[in-house]
Amino acid sequence: MTATDVHVAQAPPASTPTSPRSPRRLRGLPAAAFLGLLCAGWQIMSVLVDSVLVPGVPAIAAELVEIVVDGSFVEQLGVTVLRVGLGFALAFVVAVGIGIAMGRSEFARRFFEPAVLLGLTIPGLVWALLCVIWFGIDLINPVAAVALSSAPALMLTIYQGTRSVDPDLLEMAHVYRFSRVTRLRRLWLPALAPSLFAGARLGLSLGWKVIVLVEVFGMSSGVGYQLNNAFAAQNVAAVLAWTLLFAIVMAVLEYGVLQALERRAGRWRKAVTV
Amino acid sequence: MTAATRIRLTGVGKTFVDARSGARQQVLEDFSLTVEPGELVAVVGASGTGKTTLLHIIAGLVQPDAGEVDVGEPRLGVVFQQPRLLDWLSVRQNVVLALEAAGLDPAAADDALAAVGLADYASSYPTVLSGGQRQRVAVARAFAVEPDLVLLDEPFSALDELTARKLRLLLQELWMQRRRTGLLVTHNPLEAALLADRVIVLTGRPARISASYRVDADRPRSAEDKQLFDLHSHIVAAL
Ligand SMILES: Nc1ncnc2c1ncn2[C@@H]1O[C@H](COP(=O)(O)OP(=O)(O)OP(=O)(O)O)[C@@H](O)[C@H]1O
Ligand SMILES: [Mg+2]
Repeated sequence: MTATDVHVAQAPPASTPTSPRSPRRLRGLPAAAFLGLLCAGWQIMSVLVDSVLVPGVPAIAAELVEIVVDGSFVEQLGVTVLRVGLGFALAFVVAVGIGIAMGRSEFARRFFEPAVLLGLTIPGLVWALLCVIWFGIDLINPVAAVALSSAPALMLTIYQGTRSVDPDLLEMAHVYRFSRVTRLRRLWLPALAPSLFAGARLGLSLGWKVIVLVEVFGMSSGVGYQLNNAFAAQNVAAVLAWTLLFAIVMAVLEYGVLQALERRAGRWRKAVTV
Repeated sequence: MTAATRIRLTGVGKTFVDARSGARQQVLEDFSLTVEPGELVAVVGASGTGKTTLLHIIAGLVQPDAGEVDVGEPRLGVVFQQPRLLDWLSVRQNVVLALEAAGLDPAAADDALAAVGLADYASSYPTVLSGGQRQRVAVARAFAVEPDLVLLDEPFSALDELTARKLRLLLQELWMQRRRTGLLVTHNPLEAALLADRVIVLTGRPARISASYRVDADRPRSAEDKQLFDLHSHIVAAL
């Protein structure tokens, strides 16, 4: 029987290297190899240098475990993420409004373009310094710094996205008298989704960098503040531990959470390829 | 009730300027047309004469550079030359949005979809539909909103003959239910004769009405009607 034959032929998994499972298992291998080599290399270096400035892997790991177990990492991370989240949300709302306006009106484009281009070239460090000077230790300081440093990139990405929105659909929305809210929710935002996600990635990555600076200069809590403390105490293992954990969490947010949302938003596209 | 919709174009002119070459095309010049309340006018003419331009001027999507357009503020039901659906919403939601914008009961969407034979696809994304099916969603959307003014730009030309026949019948029923004002652009002279109260033939550049035929037959009309077939032959001769 054919069915049985097929079944038997597929029975030994080892003999089918092209089955969909194996490549997936192998996909993580290069990354694991890289991390292993990095740890080994670091350890060798720290042994060779033999200095408190280059702590070994066990020391860093111990520090990692300590800040996770005593709860300080989660607490400080929460503070930092809240600041980034508020600042980013502010930038996002403003950028959607201005980005769409730039795409729709020649005047708005000419008006906002200089601000966007200028904003793109201003280093995050400058925003951090200015916001610390202006707003001190208020919550508005980190929020403004994150918003100011991520908004220009968001605006540019969203503006570029508006040019790919089908004008035929805008005409359709016009003749059927869609309300402003419906047009935004049902037409602009879904049509702009790819740009919104690209912009969100870029904006968040700029936000993370600025928030740490703000916390170093002007805050008494958050991951940046802890980094500064560790730095002042010349505790290099702690600096590395905080940095590592923070980077991992941000990567998970960016690639895990955003990617999942993006897949959800693009569900209707799937129907085409299947 | 609002006053019945009348379309009145007087001395309308439209020139397109090609953004790349700067070439100018005068599509309409001193063009006048009146569509009486409750009248369905079919527009036939060769490709590129300006039929879509005319329809878009009436819909308020293209601004003429001369003349007057008096349409009032009717509720529009428009079938564009392309379906123009929101691909990220279900077929049903596409119709529901138009219903909600018109302040109508969203439940009417399912009836409208059933009428065009798409009841089974209500929950699908438009991306899984065929070109003809997508066009039928656009027809369902236009008819669902109980429009005062119906603008149809070759609504049935992407469909097979059998489906097109069903939808022509649907259009006739719609008109028998309630007389609406409408403009139907079509490449099919027989369709024009079958559905319209008046058929106008557009030719030349700038486009002008080179022939006009009144169709008095009672509805529902049949495509086998000898009178309509004779009219169709006249239209073909005028094209
Ligand atoms: N936005 C535009 N910019 C420049 N030229 C245009 C524009 N819209 C239409 N035209 C030109 O106007 C002329 C009439 O176009 P229109 O779409 O009205 O023709 P049509 O009669 O609907 O043709 P078809 O039967 O092929 O749909 C064409 O020559 C076209 O190139
Ligand atoms: Mg056309």
